[in-house]
Amino acid sequence: MVRGFGGAAAFPDEVWELVFSFLAADADRNAVALVCRGWHRIERRSRRRVFVGNCYAVAPAAAVRRFPEVRAAAIKGKPHFADFNLVPTDWGGGAEAWVEAMAGGWPHLEELRLKRMVVSDDCLELIARSFKNFGVLSLVSCDGFSTAGLAAIAANCRNLRELDLHENEVEDNCLNWISHFPESFTSLVSLNIACLEGDMNTSVLECLISRCPNLKTLRLNHAMPLEKLVSLLQRAPQLVDLGTSKFSADHHPELLSKVESTFAGFKHLKSLSGIWEAGPAYLPAIYSVCESLTSLNLYYATIQSPELLKLVSECKNLQRLWVMDLIEDNGLIAVASSCKLLQELRVFPSDPYGVAPPISLTEHGLVAISAGCLMLHSVLYFCRQMTNAALLTIANNRPNLTCFRLCIIDPHTPDYISQEPLDAGFSAIVESCKDLRRLSLSGLLTDRVFKSIGASANRLEMLSVAFAGDSDVGLHYILSGCKNLRKLEIRDCPFGDKALLDNTSKLETMRSLWMSSCSVTLGACRQLAQKMPRLNVEVIDERRGRPLESWPDDFPIEKLYIYRTVAGPRSDTPPCVWTV
Amino acid sequence: MELELGLALPGSDLIAELGLSSEKSTGMCRKRGFDNMFYRATSPPLFVQKDGDDGDGDDDDGHFNHLQELNLGSRVLVGWPPVRVSRRKSEEGGKRRVNCVKVNMEGVAIGRKVDLSLHDSYQALFLTLSHMFPKKQHDAEESDAAYHKVTYEDEDGDWMLVGDVPWEAFIQSVKRLKILN
Repeated sequence: MVRGFGGAAAFPDEVWELVFSFLAADADRNAVALVCRGWHRIERRSRRRVFVGNCYAVAPAAAVRRFPEVRAAAIKGKPHFADFNLVPTDWGGGAEAWVEAMAGGWPHLEELRLKRMVVSDDCLELIARSFKNFGVLSLVSCDGFSTAGLAAIAANCRNLRELDLHENEVEDNCLNWISHFPESFTSLVSLNIACLEGDMNTSVLECLISRCPNLKTLRLNHAMPLEKLVSLLQRAPQLVDLGTSKFSADHHPELLSKVESTFAGFKHLKSLSGIWEAGPAYLPAIYSVCESLTSLNLYYATIQSPELLKLVSECKNLQRLWVMDLIEDNGLIAVASSCKLLQELRVFPSDPYGVAPPISLTEHGLVAISAGCLMLHSVLYFCRQMTNAALLTIANNRPNLTCFRLCIIDPHTPDYISQEPLDAGFSAIVESCKDLRRLSLSGLLTDRVFKSIGASANRLEMLSVAFAGDSDVGLHYILSGCKNLRKLEIRDCPFGDKALLDNTSKLETMRSLWMSSCSVTLGACRQLAQKMPRLNVEVIDERRGRPLESWPDDFPIEKLYIYRTVAGPRSDTPPCVWTV
Repeated sequence: MELELGLALPGSDLIAELGLSSEKSTGMCRKRGFDNMFYRATSPPLFVQKDGDDGDGDDDDGHFNHLQELNLGSRVLVGWPPVRVSRRKSEEGGKRRVNCVKVNMEGVAIGRKVDLSLHDSYQALFLTLSHMFPKKQHDAEESDAAYHKVTYEDEDGDWMLVGDVPWEAFIQSVKRLKILN
């Protein structure tokens, strides 16, 4: 092989570092690192951001050693289905190993983002003490810590810019943790404490907000009464992203006009959320900001349709809308004609267990949105009925969809007009939407839909399947197709051993595979683990106490989690998890 | 009206009939029983096995103690639909405040009490109620799938039909329940 054409030796390292700094995507930097030893060395020493999609895929010490100059790290732990209580609480995803390694090897770390990990107060204290220039802490869907840990962060992170706590389970044992931010602390830009349950000391919070002139994002929890919220917000008219607390109170004309004038004072507000328990009395106070909003999250606002419709119709520049199904088809039709810039829509079920009288939200709402919102690319939609015709229309209207998650609430629900499975509809989606990266299926589905997905969904990275398929063939179609599949999660499908064993090498090209309540046997897991040493095959079973070794090959697996790793089997498995 | 004062719960003969004690229950038995108990006239709720069981291994292959599951307020189908539920709110032994309300059925002398904090949905509540006050045999013939209408008194003293408002709103305002005959 000819050495050089200039090669690594022709330029000093700093030049290559500068060139590589223009590569934002990890995939590109990874590719660069494979070119030659010189580039590998230069790249690893200059990489500043690291993303670890599965905390067990690599040993913390190895990651820290390879990239010594990291300033920002993002790490994910538990499988996605942990959000729905399918993963045992003691499964793993503990952050200690990572935080300890980072504390030792990355003293200049500025940003840490953890998702679905178990983070203890000790971890938070270690973070607070170890990184002198720590600026951003984001914890999403984590648990294991309390407000005492947050107090340590507040007290020690002198340059903290961002504290983002999103949907965590936080023990509330330190009511005044906010007061641990010292008087000299003024660097806050973003504070999201919406998931905390306890009351906040309003005057301490007001003080904090007043002395942080760069504060752009403030998301409060529901506990603060409306009067106190208003006086707090008057200190921060520069906010761009606001999550309010409770938005209801006894009707009081004075309070109402205060709320109105506070909102009228927000000249830069783009994102609004919270609005817990919004009553019709105070909701109109929001109208003055509607036109400038690009993001509106009404997940916690149990507003009924007429008010809801009026509110969203005012938001002409909305790009993202999260709303309850209380908006109904009529509301979505109004959105389709008012919100022409809409890119992302999420419609959540107000009554998921479905005993209340049915809401009038059907496939028609989604079809209207797909027709009226030309920039729509991301959909999450919970409903109770669907037809193939509607899905076909949506597919034809919106070939630019990148994320399509449809949840028809009752499993095995067919097309309610033709009584056919929804194979044709979902097939149309994957065939039309060539850039589809994420797909969630629901309703009555046979193996046919998987044939279409395997053949057409070339950009698909994440697929969620529940109560679908007839046989192993369905899974085989997926694993033998879907070139870019990274994450596959399956529950309650008749998929079993053959499909897994016929596609073992595919599993190493993916980040992870979750299968629960399917038809996989222990024997297949043993064979798979034997054949693929760089996969961890974890069998999860909370029912029995006897060790894995004593079970026979035909033993049915309750839950299975397979992921690629260069770190070998993990050492922190709880009693209900066995690495085969 | 005769008062039957036995030591067993009023619904226990129903449970025996369905074969739902500690023995493994057959799918058929369960399906028939539950179909009768539900308020909705439409398709049976999530955890009833539909025809053509897809053999997905979700049939409780172990011991199925129905009453125990009712009392924990847990659904048979875990994690469906896929909505996030705060674990802290649903964990037993957590800081759950007991929320007992009286339940009376029209024409029945003895009332019961139900702890709403042990339930997380209308579905779970109706199951409990259907065991406390089971439908009589002759009723089962006329209305195949519906349970009795259940009403509740809210914090304003008004009587409302159970099921109209989201569950979380309901449990905060309900004062007592009445099952109409």
